[in-house]
Amino acid sequence: MSTPLEFLKVFAARLSRARVGYVITSGMACVFYGLQQTTKDSDLVIDLEDLPRFLDLLGDLERELPPWRASYRVIFGAPLEADYMAHGWTSHLSLWDRADSPEHRVDLFSKPPRVSKVETGPESDAYASRHMLAQMKRTDRERDWPMVDGLGLQLRRLAPEQALLHIQDAGLLRGFWEQASPTTQAAAALKRPLLRLLPSTTDLDALHAWLRLERIAWETINQERYRLYEAAWKQFSRAWRADEGFVWPTSEPLRAQHERLCRAAARFALERDPIGTVGREALYERALRRAVVRADSTAEKMAKVEPPIGEVLP
Amino acid sequence: MKEGSEKKAPEYPEDYYEHLARTLGEEQAAWARLPRAEREAELTWIHESFNTPDDLAVWPPELDGGIENGSK
Repeated sequence: MSTPLEFLKVFAARLSRARVGYVITSGMACVFYGLQQTTKDSDLVIDLEDLPRFLDLLGDLERELPPWRASYRVIFGAPLEADYMAHGWTSHLSLWDRADSPEHRVDLFSKPPRVSKVETGPESDAYASRHMLAQMKRTDRERDWPMVDGLGLQLRRLAPEQALLHIQDAGLLRGFWEQASPTTQAAAALKRPLLRLLPSTTDLDALHAWLRLERIAWETINQERYRLYEAAWKQFSRAWRADEGFVWPTSEPLRAQHERLCRAAARFALERDPIGTVGREALYERALRRAVVRADSTAEKMAKVEPPIGEVLP
Repeated sequence: MKEGSEKKAPEYPEDYYEHLARTLGEEQAAWARLPRAEREAELTWIHESFNTPDDLAVWPPELDGGIENGSK
């Protein structure tokens, strides 16, 4: 049997040999940086232009002796096609690298949320950089925020400006801000308006309150973002399930599954660009209005900490 | 893995581990102090020994909300 970490290393090596551009992110990257003790899934960012080569590789692996097995999952996100993946969809596979292997769940991105540049870190050209990982972890899940904070603290010596973007602890943020150069402070404040409040906010409890408000903005924008994908997927899924003879996932090789999925996505109109249908600005404004209510705050206060749209919806 | 591509992790100041202990717990802070190879060996042992829950929801991140929702 291969454990999830062993599987990831084997799979990553195969991706490299097949010249598929990839970056390991999310849980396994948090394990790599010493912030998360357990995870099973492998989350990978695959270069958009390499998606066809990625599918070819999986076909090759299915034909190897002993063969791998590959399948889309029941809830598969979107087909591994650039038309979907370029617009922020994810795609979800199960892989088995040996006959006695447990199911390995592989979640794939090509345009990860909140990330303007896919990049690796200084210690590895396989794992997402701390900055990229911290951007992805700005979700509405409680458990992700200690990761953002921890990555920010790790960045203090490596990239001070990025550290200022991610530290969540009021005391440590203030301490690091005071040590940073004016140039670094100014550059970071352009991307994180909350930092502009630091000179005038000496009370750490007050700073903590500002940090909470900022976090609620990020959380709510993420909720509004994924609601669009959720709605698009459910609408498509309901229509496809109602089709006569619906079976999913099938026991076919992945390539045949993929072609079946692409036909269904076209026939039942799976929305390619859910954010584009409503517009980034509309999504952003609606989320911030909701965030004000959720925080029991005011629009004036929110304006002081709201993340720029280019940071939260690049 | 991209061959020969991993370098040693930087060392972090003590206040980093103290903060991890406060936010994530003493046990996780102690684990974080281990060299990366030892952390990975421990994770492999956990996977071999226990059927641990996954860190992700049943639904993928952009479709959060529960597995039953797709059939409603």
